[in-house]
This record gives sequence, structure tokens and C-alpha cells, in this order.
Amino acid sequence: MPMFKTAFNGYAVKFSPFLESRLAVATSQNFGIIGSGRQYVLDLTPNGFVPVCSFDTPDGLYDCTWSEDNENILVSASGDGSVKLWDLAAPPMANPVSNRQEHSHEVASVDWNMVRKDSFLSSSWDDTIRLWTVDSPQSLRAFVEHSYCVYKAVWNPRHADIFASASGDCTVRIWDVRQPRSTYQIPGHEMEILSCDWNKYNEFMLVSGSVDKSIKLWDVRNPRQELTRLLGHTYAVRQVKFSPHQESLLMSCSYDMTVCLWDYRAPEDALLARLAHHTEFAVGIDMSTLVEGLLASTAWDETVFVWQQGMDPRAA
Amino acid sequence: MENKNNKMRLRQQVLLEHLNPAAPARRRAVGGVASSNLVVSSSPCAAGDSAPYPRTTDFLDDVVIVAAYRTAICRAKRGGFKDTFPDDLLAPVLKAVIETTGVKAQEVGDIVVGSVLAPGAQRANECRMAAFFAGFPETVPVRTVNRQCSSGLQAVADVAAAIKAGFYDIGIGAGLESMTSNPMAWEGSVNPRVESNQRAQDCLLPMGVTSENVAERYGVGRKQQDAASVTSHQRAAAATAAGKFRDEIIPVHTKLVDPKTGEEKQVTIAVDDGIRPQTTLADLAKLKAVFKKNGSTTAGNSSQVSDGAAAVLLMKRRTALEKGIPVLGVFRSFVAVGVDPAVMGIGPAVAIPKAVQAAGLELSDIDLFEINEAFASQFTYCAQQLELDPEKINVNGGAIALGHPLGATGARCTATLLNEMKRRGKDCRFGVVSMCIGSGMGAAAVFERGSVVDTLSNARPIADNNLLSKDAK
Repeated sequence: MPMFKTAFNGYAVKFSPFLESRLAVATSQNFGIIGSGRQYVLDLTPNGFVPVCSFDTPDGLYDCTWSEDNENILVSASGDGSVKLWDLAAPPMANPVSNRQEHSHEVASVDWNMVRKDSFLSSSWDDTIRLWTVDSPQSLRAFVEHSYCVYKAVWNPRHADIFASASGDCTVRIWDVRQPRSTYQIPGHEMEILSCDWNKYNEFMLVSGSVDKSIKLWDVRNPRQELTRLLGHTYAVRQVKFSPHQESLLMSCSYDMTVCLWDYRAPEDALLARLAHHTEFAVGIDMSTLVEGLLASTAWDETVFVWQQGMDPRAA
Repeated sequence: MENKNNKMRLRQQVLLEHLNPAAPARRRAVGGVASSNLVVSSSPCAAGDSAPYPRTTDFLDDVVIVAAYRTAICRAKRGGFKDTFPDDLLAPVLKAVIETTGVKAQEVGDIVVGSVLAPGAQRANECRMAAFFAGFPETVPVRTVNRQCSSGLQAVADVAAAIKAGFYDIGIGAGLESMTSNPMAWEGSVNPRVESNQRAQDCLLPMGVTSENVAERYGVGRKQQDAASVTSHQRAAAATAAGKFRDEIIPVHTKLVDPKTGEEKQVTIAVDDGIRPQTTLADLAKLKAVFKKNGSTTAGNSSQVSDGAAAVLLMKRRTALEKGIPVLGVFRSFVAVGVDPAVMGIGPAVAIPKAVQAAGLELSDIDLFEINEAFASQFTYCAQQLELDPEKINVNGGAIALGHPLGATGARCTATLLNEMKRRGKDCRFGVVSMCIGSGMGAAAVFERGSVVDTLSNARPIADNNLLSKDAK
């Protein structure tokens, strides 16, 4: 499967929910420490990756998410605290079609609501999460409870109003946008929690990845005790993601430069595969919803890989 | 700046805590970074200040260079082009910039040719003829420009300015000089009023005398000059041997007439013939000063009298993207300055800082220089005055080895600079072309190989994707 070389350091990769061959890649210059950013849109063709377009931004980009409603809309999370909306159908000079500057620090993640399809979340190092719609230039609401960077906010795939957030304050919080406060609080790890994701087949199951190198699975109704703990990464776990096709399959990437696939139900060893195709911190992963087993990863080594589960990402 | 540093420090710290968690529980607000015991200090980048960071954003209306070619440069009267008409020198390079990029000849808005020695009207005519020989239709206009030794660079700058102004989208800046057919000479009588104006009188000084003036006034010794000459020859010879000029030289099919027998021979000239790889300090030391008793300027440490031509194709970045032509470099700034005519060679020392400043840069940002070696004296002085790293100047030799076809030099240096920058890749972001100008001037231009000119560029056509949703069809 092909590899794409980005000009800057990769931060996030996302499959389009509409076109099976399309990906968005958020990148930052100089490892996202200083410099500009570039949002790529790539098409996977038999001849490898073909850039469809790219958008340059004044500060690094840390995450991106596709609209679930319109195949041409894409949102990027920027280091300058802005959330940028791109419209691939609009001429280049019209982009970004919307630039929303409300967060006072780096925006770490963005996630589109896949049930209601009309809104998206952004989580930021300013300790808050904000709720947005495409139409309104202002955020609808800010969720202020975390006491440190919120690295991830992700919608529940079944309930339109519920989402989870992972923070450096060592907690995962579950929110219902109709409620004023968070509904559950999971003091999940002893160290910063960098990522979380919902199981696509079990509305109560959540996974979290932490600086303590572990991945934990939770039943959100029982925040005191995790269901399982997955050990194997040798540095902080940067991203975790449940498979959209297989209930017990999940994917993770880490500062140990590897991408791992796990089956939490496997009797003996939950670690299915450890992929060492990146040569720098692996920070972005995604699993295609349209093609079962199609996986993508990006890293600080300025590469994007797409491969079929079971294959070696580097195999041409 | 302080703000930027803080942001950098904050980001570094957040990442460091992921890798080396200091405390088990985080209860601190992001704002309170400064009070942290984790010390992250900003230190100068190991790659130096000239590291390849972009200083400007890429805009679609940037003027970019997509092709830059030259002929070989041959010694006047004895070299490969001694029996070649000037228009036959210019035509191949004009043709090359069009053919290699696939631009249609009729799309070119103007051709500007820098040329110095030939009578103005005749040269303008010859250039127009050269355009026809190169296959341009009658609809494409041609003009000449004369700013002495910087005419070629001035032509490139004029085209860049016209594109910026919106006169046209695609233009060619070129340079042409056949010092075989047009030797340096003064025609007619000199206005006797020059007696009353020292500066005006100094304009009449032979160039070699101005070189002696520079050497004397700024203390550039004979040894230093000869050393510069040896370096120039060595570098040019090495570059030729390594095939570095192959990317920029367009072979010229022409004839050579044997001076004794009168026999005509068809030849293809593709190699500079002025380079003397075996030049040593000892050889040069034997040469006599030409312009002054006990002087230091010799035939060995002055630029050669040569024939040659060069052409540079410029267009808006938007046009290059639309056509899918890879960008060779971006034209960032140009200045011409005036200096004392008696020491005209110091021009680059004044022009370079101004051009660099106009581009929003500092001298230390520049990764490569092409400074014309009119004379080793003035070249050495300029490099020393600006405290430039010798390893960054004329890395493939200069006019002492290659030759100095006056009007072509500016465009020739541009071609050499951009091709070398391309070879050096990402680490070579900014380059400068500069030269001194007879009658006391200097010119300099800054070129950039930005992020989008790297081979990973997005400069490719989006052929069959109109980016509209499927429903819109």
C-alpha cells in the first residue's frame, strides 16, 4: 500500500465518510512547536496518493475531522486556538470558509457528530470543550470543568447528545449537551489521558489511552474499576480508536513510534499486531468506515501510510 | 516575539510531559507554565539562522521563475562563438525556456533582453530577429534594456515588475552579449564639461582603473586577488567536471571558421571554454598589472571578455499552478543603487544588504550568493565587507573563470544560482544575485526556493476533479 510524504510533520489522518479513497491529513511544521500548518486532502489511486488540494495555515494543525453531512466540508484544529472550516467545493481563495477563534490555547481535537450530523466539538489546551454548528459563527456552548488540557473530545456513536472527553487532569468525563454539568467522571489513570474513544457496538464502552503507557477499557456506568487494561506500548499512548467493523478490535499509536492493533477479548494476548513502520512519534491513526480493515496512520516522520489490516504498511 | 517564545515553550513542555511525566497528577492550568520547575529554554537552532524556515507566505500572485537557461560562455574573438551572430546566441535559450516548460510561445507577454555594448537600435532589431528564429510569433513583443553589467538581472526584474503590475502573466527576461562583435569602446568625443564634475569624469575611467582604485582604497592585496581567481577557476572546473552546468547550458549549433585556412566547420558548443583548471598562484603572480604601474589588477584576476546569452521564464504562481509547471524559484526583491564611479566595484556591498532587507530578510538568512567577479579586487572586497561565508559565494566559479558577457551576466547568474539551489534542496532557501555596474552602481536580487517549490509540491494539475459534490453535476 502506498506512502505519502508530507512537507510538514503529520498530526492527524482521517478517512472521508463519503469517499472510500479520500483522506484528510493535518500537518504542522517543526513538530508543531512553531511554524505554519498544512491541511492536505489526498486521494488514494491505483498509482498511489494524489493530492486533491491543500490549505496552508499560519499555525500548526493538530487534528481534523470530516463533516458527516457534506462530503466537501472539513474542519481543522489549529495551534493558534482557531477552528477552521474548509469547503473543497469552494475556490481556494474562499477558504477557509469559516475561521472560529474562541479557544485561547491550542485546539487539540475536533470531532463531528455522526448521529445528528449537524454539529461538531473542539477540545483545547485552554481546558475547555466547545460545541459548534456549521451555520453559527459562534460556539453554542463551552464545557468548562477540566483543570488541564483537553486532548480529545469524541461523540458517542449512538446518542446524539453524549460525548466523552479525555484530559491531562487524569480524568475522562462523559457529557450530555442537554445537562449543565458532566454526567460521569472517570479518574481513569494516574497520569495524563491523551485520548479516548467509544465502542461502536456497545454504547457504554469507552477506551482511554494515557501517558502511563496503558490503554484501559471502561464501562462508563462503573467509573471505579476498568474492564481491562492493555499493556504493550513503551511510551505514552497518543491515540486510541475502536474499529467501526469489529466490536472487540481497537487501534492505538504511541510516542514509542509504533501503531498497535488489539483485540480486548482475545484470551491469551490482546496485542494482535505491533507495526513499526514509522520512524518518529506516531500521533495520528484512523480506520475506514467504508472499507473494512483499511487503516491509516501518520507520524512526525512526515509520512502517511494506508494499508489493509494484516498487511505490512511498508509493503508496496 | 516574546509571545511566540512562550508559545514554543508551552508546546515543548506539554510534549515533554507526555514523554517524561514529572508529577503523577496534573492539576495546573496551562497559563502557569512559567512557574514550572521543568525548564525548557529556547536556544539558537543548530542549523543556524539561515535554516530553511519560510519567512513569507506563498501567494498565488507571487512572481515565480519556472525555467532559467544559458548558453555556454566562450572567450570573445577566440572562443566557440567567435563566428556566431548575436541573434543566433539568443535564439536557442529563448527557444529552450518555452520548449522545456511547454508554455505556448504566443502566451508570452514580453521578451526583455539585457544587452550592453551593441548599438541600441541594432541590438533591439537583432533581439526581435532572435525571437523569430526561436519560433515566436510576430505577436510577441521584444525590447532591450541597458543597465551595463546588470542588464540581464534588470531584464529579469523588469519582467517580474511587469507581471506584478498585471501587464501580462508570462514574460521572459534575458541577456545577450557578443563581445566578439561589439568590443568595449567609446564612440565620438567626450563632453569637455566633465572637467568641472569629478564624478562625471570618473565615469570615463576604464573599468580596470576602478578596480585598482578599490584595491588601493580598501587595501585588497595582489595575493588575495590571485587567490580569488584560483578559487574561481578551481570551482568552475570542478562544477564542469561534475556536470553541474549540464542542467543550465543549452547547446548551440553553430560554425567555427579556421582563421588561417578560412575553412568552415559545423560545431555544437555546450561547454564553457574560459576555465583554466590548472591555474596556480605562481602562474598568476607572473602576470603584469595592466592598468597601473605596480598595480594589482592583471588579466588573470579580472573577468574574461566573453560571448554568451541566457534567458529566464517568469510567470505568476497562479499560472504555473494552472499549467502544472514546477516552480524553480520565487522572485523576492530587486534593488539598484548608486556608488562612487571611481570605485564602481563596491556596488554589491551596498546593493546586497538593501535587497535582502527589501525581501524582509537578514544577510545571515541567505544560503547562496552569485556575486559577479568583474575583478577579483572588488569581489574580494564585497565578500569581506559583508562578512560573507566564502563557501556560499560563487560555489561554481564566477566571471574570472567563466567569463563576463556583460549583458548576459545577470540572467546567467540567475540560471546558475537557481539550478544550484535546486541541487542543494531544502537547506538552501534564499539566494542572491548581485553585481557591480560600470559608472558606479550596484544591483542585487533575492530569490527564494520556498516550500512549494520542493519536489513535494502541490504544483500539479488537478486533471479530472472539479471538486464539486456528485449532486452538483
